[in-house]
Amino acid sequence: MRAKTTIKKKSAVSTRQSMAKKIKPEEQIVQIKGKTALIKGKVNGKRVSSRVLEEWIQHSVQEGARELYIIADGQHGIGGRIWPRGEAIKITVEGPVGQRCGSMGMSGTEILVKNSVSDDVGWINCGAKITVLGDVTNGAWNAAAQGILYVQGSGGARCDTMTKHNPRFEPPQSWYFRNVGDSFAEFKAGGIAVVCGVNPRNTENILGYRPCVGMVGGTIYFRGPIQGYSEKDVQLLDLTEQDWQWLKTNMKPYLEAIDRMEHYKELTRSSNDWKKLMAYTPQEKRARKWFKTSTSDFRKNMWEKAVGQGGIFAEYLDHELTLLPYITTGAERRNKPVWANEKYAPPCAYACPTHIPSHKRASLIRQGKLNEALELVLQYSPLPATVCGQICPNLCMQSCTRGRLDKPLNIDKLGKLALDLPAPKKAAATGHKIAVIGGGPAGMSTAWQLALKGHTVDLYESADKLGGKIEQCIPRERLPHEILEKEISRFRELGVNLHLNTRVTKEKFDEIYKGHEVVVIAIGAHQPRKIAFPGSGDIVSAYDFLKDINSGKHPDLKGKKVVVIGAGNVGMDVCSEAFNYGAESVTSIDIQKPAAFGAEMEIAKAKGTQVVWPRLTERYDKKDRKLYFKDGSSMDADFVVMSIGDVPQLDFLPQGIHAERGWIKVNENYQTSDVKVFAIGDVTGLGLITHAIGHGRLAAEHIHYLVSHAPRFPEIKQVIPYERIKTEYYDVCKGDFTPEAEANKCMSCATCRDCRMCEATCYWGAISRVEHKDGSYEYVVDENLCIGCGFCAGICPCGVWEMVENV
Amino acid sequence: MEPASGLRLDHNHHLSLREFPYIIRWRDDRCKRCGKCTAVCPVKAIEATVKVQRLVKSEGPVPAPAAVRSITHIVEQVTDMERYCTGCGTCTLVCPNEAIEPEFNPQHKFLHYKNKGGDGYKRGGRRNDPSISTLDRLKFTRISMLTDPALDAGRHEFRVRSLLGRILPPEDLPLKTVDGKLTVDKDSIFIPPVREIFPIMIGSMSIGALSPPMWEGLAMGVAYLNEVEGLPVVMCSGEGGMPPRLLRSKYLKYFIIQIASGYFGWDEIVHALPHMVEDPAAIEIKYGQGAKPGDGGLLMAQKVLKLIAKIRGVPQFVDLASPPTHQTKYSIEEAVAKMIQSMSMAFGFRVPVYPKISGTKTARAVLNNLARNPYAAALCIDGEDGGTGAAYNVSMDKMGHPIASNLRECYLDLVKQGKQNELPLIAAGGIGKKGNLAANAAALIMLGASGVAIGKYIMQAAADCFGDEYNRCNLCNTGKCPRGITTQDPKLYRRLDSDRVAERVVEVFKAADVELRKLFAPMGRSTELPIGMSDGLSIDDPAMAERLGINYAC
Repeated sequence: MRAKTTIKKKSAVSTRQSMAKKIKPEEQIVQIKGKTALIKGKVNGKRVSSRVLEEWIQHSVQEGARELYIIADGQHGIGGRIWPRGEAIKITVEGPVGQRCGSMGMSGTEILVKNSVSDDVGWINCGAKITVLGDVTNGAWNAAAQGILYVQGSGGARCDTMTKHNPRFEPPQSWYFRNVGDSFAEFKAGGIAVVCGVNPRNTENILGYRPCVGMVGGTIYFRGPIQGYSEKDVQLLDLTEQDWQWLKTNMKPYLEAIDRMEHYKELTRSSNDWKKLMAYTPQEKRARKWFKTSTSDFRKNMWEKAVGQGGIFAEYLDHELTLLPYITTGAERRNKPVWANEKYAPPCAYACPTHIPSHKRASLIRQGKLNEALELVLQYSPLPATVCGQICPNLCMQSCTRGRLDKPLNIDKLGKLALDLPAPKKAAATGHKIAVIGGGPAGMSTAWQLALKGHTVDLYESADKLGGKIEQCIPRERLPHEILEKEISRFRELGVNLHLNTRVTKEKFDEIYKGHEVVVIAIGAHQPRKIAFPGSGDIVSAYDFLKDINSGKHPDLKGKKVVVIGAGNVGMDVCSEAFNYGAESVTSIDIQKPAAFGAEMEIAKAKGTQVVWPRLTERYDKKDRKLYFKDGSSMDADFVVMSIGDVPQLDFLPQGIHAERGWIKVNENYQTSDVKVFAIGDVTGLGLITHAIGHGRLAAEHIHYLVSHAPRFPEIKQVIPYERIKTEYYDVCKGDFTPEAEANKCMSCATCRDCRMCEATCYWGAISRVEHKDGSYEYVVDENLCIGCGFCAGICPCGVWEMVENV
Repeated sequence: MEPASGLRLDHNHHLSLREFPYIIRWRDDRCKRCGKCTAVCPVKAIEATVKVQRLVKSEGPVPAPAAVRSITHIVEQVTDMERYCTGCGTCTLVCPNEAIEPEFNPQHKFLHYKNKGGDGYKRGGRRNDPSISTLDRLKFTRISMLTDPALDAGRHEFRVRSLLGRILPPEDLPLKTVDGKLTVDKDSIFIPPVREIFPIMIGSMSIGALSPPMWEGLAMGVAYLNEVEGLPVVMCSGEGGMPPRLLRSKYLKYFIIQIASGYFGWDEIVHALPHMVEDPAAIEIKYGQGAKPGDGGLLMAQKVLKLIAKIRGVPQFVDLASPPTHQTKYSIEEAVAKMIQSMSMAFGFRVPVYPKISGTKTARAVLNNLARNPYAAALCIDGEDGGTGAAYNVSMDKMGHPIASNLRECYLDLVKQGKQNELPLIAAGGIGKKGNLAANAAALIMLGASGVAIGKYIMQAAADCFGDEYNRCNLCNTGKCPRGITTQDPKLYRRLDSDRVAERVVEVFKAADVELRKLFAPMGRSTELPIGMSDGLSIDDPAMAERLGINYAC
């Protein structure tokens, strides 16, 4: 293309003419006679430059020459880029030929080199036919795209590299008679190469070192020994019949061209003499296995053969040597759910010193068993209406989970509902004799429990009435007397042997001790504590003050200024009663932050009680009616009550029962240092009435096992954490109190409410409800379905399901 | 008033999710509540719970309210710092509906809170620094096109190999001519053992730190590379002994056995000595670790199960402490010399013995001592970005020396003494942190390393370790590795296929081999590793260029 335009342009012609003038005479370089031209590369001993020689070659063709005879002198690129437009150009070259002979040779050009050529013959050949009657050196046929190369000798290094096949044309062919050098056919992308292997210079390897690296297309036919090729790029194959026919057909003109027809027979003797190298197709390469052998085969055939069956660790592993998925079932789960029904205590029962299971009462009500629900409480306390319903601060309600959503369950009201119930049935008599000293809440509680279990109980009470401080000291306005009386009469139904008006002395204790298997001391604390300071003799104790009122001796406090030392709950009762009996003002003082709380505090404050702290009393002057404090201040005080607690009277105790700082020492089962003697309630330390009831029940439980000679493993339940209860299920409550409404409000903490939520949420259908013959039920897990996701535990309204490590 | 249960209400210490390093993005609209995510979460950071929604509607022409409550079961992230989401993404992995995914929270205040009980935060992994390291800033800027023979990585044959062991200088070699042939007179002087290895090795990770299938998978991959691919990759045992089956096999030659301050498993190794059919590749004496310089290790009792106990030669269920220092170390000269002597002697002076230290400003002092010790085979320096199975976060994040300049100054010290070709330096710590394994290795080699060791990279590449420099996962110390890589719990490690690990090891090293050629060929190097060829390196920071003694290019 370029040759054509160069010649056509006028300026180019003038350049050529000026060039011709310089090299004089031009006939010395080129002689054109008709269709032939002789072109010399050396004139008068001077070498013609490659550029000038090229111009004359192009000029000759332009002038009509079709047979060129070139005597070269090392010029570059001879014979290429000639485009005779359909005609044939024959070029014969002899003499030292430079590099890239016939480069970019066009179709129609035929080049015959009568001797060996330098590097890169036929470079980017575009159709020329080049015959070399000698050797081609390095890089022959590099990037050839069309045409034919016939070589009479051998090839140098990197021959046939980057050859291509343009589908518009026939593929390029290259024929080597002897052998080729190293790196043959690198990156060959198309075309056919034939290496005949006749009389090779390297007798052991006719294709040189590492042929075909990066070869992606084309075919190489060769005859003779080779030493390897790029196995990842090409495959070594036998010739097909088509190959053989092609080779035989094309062998003849080749041998004729290089004047070696005498070898025709030898070269076409048998297709078995020949092999071919063919590039793998991209599909074949992709389909090829990347690994020479799989690692599993390597393990089986090599690794385990050398290190032993199962690998290097097998001898220490106790499990199967198989793989596990991320999601597992059965024994392979990391965690598993457990239906831990009633494993934990609900906060209400846990907080209650008597552990009254209010959640069970709610459950029974939900099942329509209201009476059973109400009766249940009597198994825990003889005084539910009195204590739960009236005077208890209801620790159960304070801790109620429901209170975190709206309001706690009205457990106090449930207690009140038990007022009219008859005493429960006793168990059959056991014949065991137990003494209880003290008829207060603690003594009544333990006597009640022991009697229910069928034991014979003797109860000794110094006063003429049962009830202890409930009877004696709790203001009637907080506890209507008829409620207490009603519950005491129910208590009496149980048949406890009452010994009222019986003060227990040392001698009496000894007698009781000898006459009973177990003695329970429940005498409470009935000796007021007093701080001695000037004028303290003129001060009344809270104990006496309250007891007098309840026994009918009413004080006259009209218009008086009352001061109560000690702002505990008893102090608050005193304040309230002082107002009830006419006090003009009541001030409660304390040396520290008042301990009072709940109903006592509220009632007293509502009546006008002033609470002042800290105040350390120095003296009381009855004449001045003034209470003086250590900080120098004073307070008007017509009437002073000291309410700093009571202590027990322990003068009757034998030596074997240990007491510390005035209180009887007990272990966790309320047992004293004498294993036969138990102590409960205030005699072991001041507490709430509910504590006294609780002590009584728990001590009775222990005593029951003790006298029955049965081993006891008390179940100590932990409280369920609030987070485990899903309050989200419940709407904020509106409406009045009814037992049924309360029962539905109860969140049934730690106790299954049989709602089937777990069954519904389990995606895997692993949870089902199983009903037993006795009417009880449980939820069970099919461990072959369960994946241990924890949905049941996460969404259980009651916190019953819990996830544990699956070990 | 406090509730009677004694529960202390302390709303001020309730953490919001904003304080947590990863926040779970859960999509209600996609979730089918199958529980796979909660079943696999290694730290129980997510759980099923109940959500209530209330909607008030009024649809009529006049106000006619209707409140609708709806309670749904949801998956929720817990706000307990002890159960923080580590971002591992196992939930995402198992979710069939793409309904759940942890998202990194760059505003987290994790380290402010992760010190419960008065103890510092401990974890596995490596330095939490996602910025571009020096290694990743190094570029190869000396490209041969016309100035040197242009090599082609695909076409030319390469031998990317290095030497592990002390190499005698030519003048010290007892050369003599026998029958016209040049030979080495091996009897005249001590000729130190030298191994030809692939310049990237698998660094020390112990049996115990790694699960059985992980360790065996790596070991098998290494054996495969040697036996099938002819690539002489070696692997270090870590301090935790070696299984007797391997010690007695012909594959022992591909393993470097480590001895560290706990000496675990060494009595078992000594017992196996008479039964060995091959020598190990080398012995590494561990003095320090890049991840936690100057700190020791503790394998907790609950991880010391039958396998670990047997291999380490200890009873089950005891704590195994590797102290920060060797108990019989008194000075560099004394300690290193006697350890090298003892270990060389154990294997008849046929095995290269070299110490490993953590990257430190004092590395040159150690090096100069080794340079004078004819039995020292190499020095391995583990830089600050090295990984570990368990360490205090503060050690990992804040202690240690970057490997690049540390290695470089050591190499230049050798150059000054003319010994740069005698004592090989092995660099480790953060190689392949951003995935550029071959490039990082090549950069270190050109700064002067004879080889590099990798740990975290191979865990990530061969076993899909989730860990990264955003503190993702990093649960190695807890035994709860969700990939089964660093756990002794069969329920977890049976997730890991050792054949697959081996396969990936083979792929990783073959690819690294290809990539090293791709780097070295354009620089005109093919037969010799370009150790110390620093004129081929550049960096875009003048100060770094000056410190490393390389070109500044921008």
